[in-house]
Formats: sequence, structure tokens, C-alpha cells
Amino acid sequence: MTFRILGAAVLLTAGISMAQAQQLAPSPTLDAIKARGNLECGVHLGLPGFSFANDKGEWSGLDVDYCKALAAAVLGDASKVKYTPTSVQQRWPILQSGQVDVLSRNSTITFSRNATLGLNFQGINFYEGQTFIVRKSANAKTAADLDGASVCVAAGSTEEKNAADWFRERNLKTTITNFQKNDDAIAAYDAGRCDAYTAGVGALAGQRAKLKNPEEHVILTQPISNDPQGPVTRWGDERWQLIVRWVLNGTIAAEALGVTSKNVDEMKANSKNSEVRRLLGAEGGFGAMMGLSNDWMYNAIKQVGNYGESYERTVGMGSPLKLERGQNQLWTKGGLLFTPPFQ
Amino acid sequence: MTRASSLSIWRERLFATPFTGFVSMVLVVLIAWVGIPLIRWAVIDATWAGSTRADCAPGGACWVFIRARFGQFMYGLYPVDQRWRVDIAGIAFVLGIASIVLAPQRLRLKLGLAMLVALPPLGIWLLSGGFGLRYIETREWGGLMLTLFISIYSSLIAIPLGIIFALGRQSELRIIRLISVIFIEFWRGVPIIAVIFLASLLLPLILPGGIGIDRLARAVIGLGFVIAAYMAEAVRGGLQALPKGQREAATALGLNYWKATGLIVLPQALRISLPAMTNEFIALIKNTTLVLVVSILDLLGVAQASLADPNWVGMNMEAYAFSGAIYWLICFALSRWSRSLEKKRRL
Repeated sequence: MTFRILGAAVLLTAGISMAQAQQLAPSPTLDAIKARGNLECGVHLGLPGFSFANDKGEWSGLDVDYCKALAAAVLGDASKVKYTPTSVQQRWPILQSGQVDVLSRNSTITFSRNATLGLNFQGINFYEGQTFIVRKSANAKTAADLDGASVCVAAGSTEEKNAADWFRERNLKTTITNFQKNDDAIAAYDAGRCDAYTAGVGALAGQRAKLKNPEEHVILTQPISNDPQGPVTRWGDERWQLIVRWVLNGTIAAEALGVTSKNVDEMKANSKNSEVRRLLGAEGGFGAMMGLSNDWMYNAIKQVGNYGESYERTVGMGSPLKLERGQNQLWTKGGLLFTPPFQ
Repeated sequence: MTRASSLSIWRERLFATPFTGFVSMVLVVLIAWVGIPLIRWAVIDATWAGSTRADCAPGGACWVFIRARFGQFMYGLYPVDQRWRVDIAGIAFVLGIASIVLAPQRLRLKLGLAMLVALPPLGIWLLSGGFGLRYIETREWGGLMLTLFISIYSSLIAIPLGIIFALGRQSELRIIRLISVIFIEFWRGVPIIAVIFLASLLLPLILPGGIGIDRLARAVIGLGFVIAAYMAEAVRGGLQALPKGQREAATALGLNYWKATGLIVLPQALRISLPAMTNEFIALIKNTTLVLVVSILDLLGVAQASLADPNWVGMNMEAYAFSGAIYWLICFALSRWSRSLEKKRRL
């Protein structure tokens, strides 16, 4: 009897240690980051609100904030990121060849990219989509309100085709006015020759700031296309992919759970919500399961903030772009942002 | 008296016949049509003082933007407290050139060679660090400093290589001639942008370990090779323009190939090809902007990147006008300098 219990205990211990060994699969990427002391992050060379160097030469933006959060989770210090600005031609090779650990560069997630490039998309940090900018006085709420209106577009662009198809399918009498270049189209819109101009949400936010009177224009929050974007990693090294995915999830979960950079200390100490406690490392030992410190999300939120804080600071109301949350709002508040639970 | 005569000269020059008079009038109108709004925008209606976008008056240029970003236009993201190193490197370069130009004739060659050996490593040490200086990665370099760095170091590769391959192409040894022709024709035949792409994207995929050689170094070497091929052709023009008798006379005097080449043929050939070589230099400086495709932040890259700052979005005209003016100044100064060299040497 005693032997049997002992035997069971031995088996159990062996089972647990095997499970632990399985959980901590080797992660060359994480080891390399820890050895080097910084995260290599591929970003956009310059995209208003998402990735840019400010007057002081510091990188900032929504995509850059993700790199910072990841560095805080992995190394405990959000400033330990080295940025590699990448052009559109360079972005995949630079990730594939191992020059960066992760790419956070407004890249649309598509099936063919995922299937053929040897890359994995680890979640969505921005729901991009084609939409319209109109004058406030036009009183349009959605694209469907543009019946009888005119839209300025660059001839031959994807936007032109998308918009034309969308209006035709719905039998809306919307005039598409073609221009040679995007700049001409937006200038014509600004001059009042059309009622609307169309582009992606993120691009429109940057372009609105260039108009003569930005505050007279609104960007329709319901897009007509679906181009979600998020951080990208190479195939292989599943533990690293896990970290990249769950840091993004963690910033969104923090917003959903009401954890901010201001109240994170208090939440960690006093919160009764066990999901909050697991997220912040007060219980559960979630960080250790990935080979990180249990403070991983605490550090990220303390130093960078939750997703909402990041959004407002970089592209939202706290920034010159003044982009509404739109689809990039929590699913509980009418948006699409969603994260699996921290259980 | 003088006034009347100068007026009559103008009349003679601009209104000699009804037709030239008409052309003059059209040109004056054209200049005014383009020039006046430009000056209004750039000077009269422009805002010079202030610190944010809000300080700028609409309609005119917002030079506040250039002021706020001036450091980045010059040095890129180079750490502010280390920028003195770039300044010193720049001063050393200018002093080096000046000392060669001002030195007495007999010392000039020795001094020039000494500078050529000493300055490039000194420059790299100052900019990148090591041996007591903080190490600064090339990804933090940028702006005008990077444009000049790429131009200077690419030409340091291009000039010697160009001369060697120009001589090689004239060689009597078939294998050397063949190698030179292959090098020159290969690099002349490949678009620069393709070379930069290959150097920056393909090499890391091929080389084991991924990183290996620095990104900037790869671009500089790639550019250097392309320009070397063009330089070789410019020098070959000079070599071919030189009468054959020069080398024959040198050989008759008992000079061997290297002495005849170094003392008699090359100095004259280089003098003849100076205008063509200057052309290549100017082209090189402008071609450095192509490194933008691999996200190296040269002057133009910094201009473009700064447009993405939401606080300054829409400053396209200012950014491009300012960087364009700098490129023009450099190229213009270079062309004047080469002109004065030509004059001094009575070419």
C-alpha cells in the first residue's frame, strides 16, 4: 500500500517534470534576445501614428508600442528595443533572414502570405480597412449614405476597384471621379470637387491631418474591406511565437480587465479578479510557462500601457491624428478586439 | 554715362531684333510667373520662428519644421551627445583636403597619400566608436552625414578600383584584360538599385548566420563597385586621349611599366578625365539616395521619415525643398571646384 502510494507519487512527479520540460521547448530566438540584451524589431520607415521617429529621434507609434511591450515582457525594460526600419520590399526578407526577431509593420494578414512566405501572423493589433473621409456637413454615417455622392480616387488603384464594386453591388448611384495620382485625388477632395475620398483607415488618419481644416472632416468607422494587421514571426520556434502572440493578447486583455499603466500596481496587489491576478503574475505562474518572468505583462503594462492607452496616445484622441477607435475597440464596446482568456 | 551704356548693352542683348525682344519678354513673364509665387512661399509668407506646427502661418513655408528637425536632417538618429564626433570627422576631412590643396607642390603627393591612409580609418573610428569611444551602430547614422559618408567611402573604393581596371583594360596580358572587361561590363550593366537590393536582401539569406557584414557597409561596397566601373571608363577615355608617344618616350628613357604609368601616363590621363570623373562623383552623390529602398536613412530618407511624424504631417514641400537645396549645393560646389581645377591646370 505504502509502496503503491510512493510509486504513484514518483510517477506523478515524473509526469509533472515531463510536462514542464514539454512546456519549455527550446527557443533559440528568446535565448538570443536574452544574450544580446535587446529585442530586434522590424518597423515601418515612416507611417504617421504607427511608426515614426519624433523630433528627439525616438521611435513611436502604435506598431512601435507593441515592440516596446514585447521588450518589457521579455527583458523587463521597454527601452531595450533596436528598431530596423524596413521598406515594403525588404520587410519579409529581413524577417526571414533572421535580422529581426519580430516584424511589427502594418502588414496585412492574408492566406497566401501565411502559406507561402514561411511566416506566421500572431494576432491583430490594428483592423485596417478601406473607408471614406467626408465632410462633417455631409452627415454621412456609413458608406451606404454616399448614395448620389462623388468619390475622388486614384485611377487604377485597388481602392478604385473596391469602391466601384461595393457601390455597384448595392445599387448605389455613387460617382467615382478618377485622378492620376493619390495626391491629386486628395487635393481635389480638399478643394471640394468631390464629397468623399477613399483609402485605408490608417492612411486616412494621416491624410486628414494634411487637409486645410482637419476638424471639418470625419472618417467613416465602418470599412468596406478587411485588411487586419499584426505582428509577424518566422516559422519554427513555437515558444517564441507563443510569447509574441500572448503579449499582444495581454495588452488587449489588460484593457478589457481595466488594468492601466496607472493602476497596475494597485490591481496586482488588491484585485480579487483571478484573471487580472494571472495576467499580472500574482498567481498562476503564467510567465514561467513560457520561460519568462511572471512579471511579464505587469512590466509591459506598467511601462507601455494597455492597448487602449497605446491607441489613444499614438493614433487616437491623444494624438494629432484623432482617429476614433472604430473596429479597433473592444468587442464588448462594439469593436472587433478580442482575446482568448488568461486561464 | 556708364548707366546709359549698360542700359544699351541690355537693350542690345535682349531686344536686338523683334524676335529676340519677344523671346525676352516671354522669358521674363515666365520667370515672374514661377519665381514670384515661389519667393512668396519660401520667404515672404514663410514662418521662421516658433516651435510647433501651430506657429506656422498657412500659405507660406513652415521652416519651423526644418528647425525642429535640423539635427535629424544633419545626423539622423545619431545620439545627440555624441554628435561632436561627426563634427570632428567632418572638420578633419575638410582640413585634410585643404592641407593637400595648400601644400607646396613637392609635398602634395606624399601628403595626399598620408591622408589617404590615415583619414578613412580615423573617420570610421570617430563615427562608429571603439577604443574609448562609445560604440554607435550604423543604423543610428543618418541624414547629411550619412549621405557624405556613403559618397566619400564609395569613392574611396571606386577611384583606385577604377584606375586599376582602366589600366587593366589596356593591358597587353589577355587574362588581365579579360578580367577587367568582365568587371567593368558586369557592374555597368546592372542597375544600381538592383545592386543595392542584392547586397542588402540576398546576401543575408545566402550568408550563414544571417547578419555577417554591416548593412551600410554592404551598400557602400555595392555602390563603390558600380561607380568603379564608370570611373574606369572615364579614366580609359583619358588614357586613350593621351598620345602613344608619351609612354614610348618614357620607356625609351628607361622607365619600367609602373614608373612610366605612375609618373608620365596617369597624371596626364587623370587630368584629361577630370571633368568626366567629376560627373561620376556628382552622379554618385545623387545615387546615394537609392539606399532609401533598403531603409538606410540618408538625407532624403530622413526627410521622408520625418513626414510621418503626426506633429508635422503635410510638410512635404519644406522637407523636399530643404533636402533638394542641400543636394544642389553639394553638387554645384563640386562642379565649381572641378572647373577651377581644370582652369588652374589649363585644360
